[in-house]
Amino acid sequence: MLEVKQLSVSFGAVRALDAVSLIVPRGEVTAVIGANGAGKSTLMRTLAGLVKPESGSAELDGAVVTGRSPEDIVRTGMALIPEGRSTIPELTVEENLHLGGLWRPSAERKATSAEIYDMFPVLAERRRMRSDTLSGGERQQLAIGRALMCDPTCLLLDEPSLGLAPLIVTQILQLVNQLAREKNLAVLLVEQNAVTALRVATTGIIMNLGTVVRVGTAEEIAADDELRDAYLGS
Amino acid sequence: MTTFIDYLLGGFSSGAVIALFALALVLVWRSTRIVNFAQVGQAMFTTFIALIVQQATGSWFLALLAGLVAGAILGLIVYALVLRPVQRLDTSGSIIATFGVLISLQALAAMIWGGEPQSFPPPVANDGLEIGGRIWPISWYDVLVYVVTAVLVVALTLLFTRTSLGLSMRASAFNPEVAKLSGIRVNRMLAFGWALAGVVGAVAGVLIAPTASLSPNSFDILLIFAFTAAVVGGLDSLIGAVAFGVGTGLVLALVTGYGEAGDAPIVVLILLAITLVVRPGGAFGRGKSRAV
Repeated sequence: MLEVKQLSVSFGAVRALDAVSLIVPRGEVTAVIGANGAGKSTLMRTLAGLVKPESGSAELDGAVVTGRSPEDIVRTGMALIPEGRSTIPELTVEENLHLGGLWRPSAERKATSAEIYDMFPVLAERRRMRSDTLSGGERQQLAIGRALMCDPTCLLLDEPSLGLAPLIVTQILQLVNQLAREKNLAVLLVEQNAVTALRVATTGIIMNLGTVVRVGTAEEIAADDELRDAYLGS
Repeated sequence: MTTFIDYLLGGFSSGAVIALFALALVLVWRSTRIVNFAQVGQAMFTTFIALIVQQATGSWFLALLAGLVAGAILGLIVYALVLRPVQRLDTSGSIIATFGVLISLQALAAMIWGGEPQSFPPPVANDGLEIGGRIWPISWYDVLVYVVTAVLVVALTLLFTRTSLGLSMRASAFNPEVAKLSGIRVNRMLAFGWALAGVVGAVAGVLIAPTASLSPNSFDILLIFAFTAAVVGGLDSLIGAVAFGVGTGLVLALVTGYGEAGDAPIVVLILLAITLVVRPGGAFGRGKSRAV
């Protein structure tokens, strides 16, 4: 379980996150939705250690992760799949995948990569090809695969739907939901595409201007037209 | 015809050393995405240290060893003291910083060892070999240089393509953020890249010193040739750096042989300019242009 307590981040005079608290239980997807600039990506980057928080903390299964480097946070079992194309085009599919587990003993790494190739057969077929030969959806699978290489207990997904066709988005998000249930992962999903995200999430959290404005079950939030009009602009 | 062959053989020897310097430039480019103009300065400095050990012990092998260690340490020092602090700025800031390091190292070497050229004795004979009743412009020492260059290229290629360390280094260079998020200790990889380049530069320095002489500025012209070889080879390609390093040596030998020695650098620079216009990614690069 990931527990975020009163997390605040400032960039100069701008407060990007203001005392954000939330809980991400294992075995399900928790979706954070909100308009552009709501602080969603900052939340994810802070949790992953790329941005230093001003105050507050995040604990993964009771261990404090805030204040540690990204390299150490991965080793505690929390992996971020950043926004946009996070695969490295110059490397092959296999190299991109193995990156995620280079710090683990090679026997463990090979076992995990075999599992991931079973899950994503298309990656196995293209393992020797450069990753920029993959389609957008396949690249997102590869990015998820790389995050799984560290054998995580918590996955942070930042806008996985960005730039993908609607059908592919649905497939990727269903896959995320399945991963959360089958591998008992705590999944925090950040999305602008609220409707699709809430469909695979158990809990929905709405953020606006750096604060959490509403927490509820995904159904509640999806059904609330007023909320949608006020914060999601759709 | 025999003069032509003589020129070519001579060109191979200087080309192999240019190739080693080009390799060092490629290593730094691969690990930190900057061109290290201080590379020849670092090599000159470590070669002086090797020379001290050579004079004290009389052993070329110990001198080489001292040069390698000094090269690695100096690479780390330059990275930690100069490059890491400026890295937060932009790429051109880092490149200018490497020029500063070059000038500082040359000034420091001149203060310590003076500006007089010193000779560095070779470990094996550097006289032309006599084969078939004729003396050829190739010596046992040249053969040693070829072997060392070949072994280094193969070893570095295997390191980059076959090992976890090599993959970590490439990932850290291509996308530091993704590398960090994957658990790779990026700063360590960058430092290792600089140390490794320092070692290769030291090998180049110790190998070339016996055929030329050693002074604070004696490797300056090599920087131009090695830079040309590395850029024409695509900056990212170890094989490209070596192929065009040797190629540059051949061009130099032919121009010097048939024309004026002073024209050689100009011809090399013209080749560099043509390459940058026709194929900005280098002959072995992926055709994508980049800002250097």
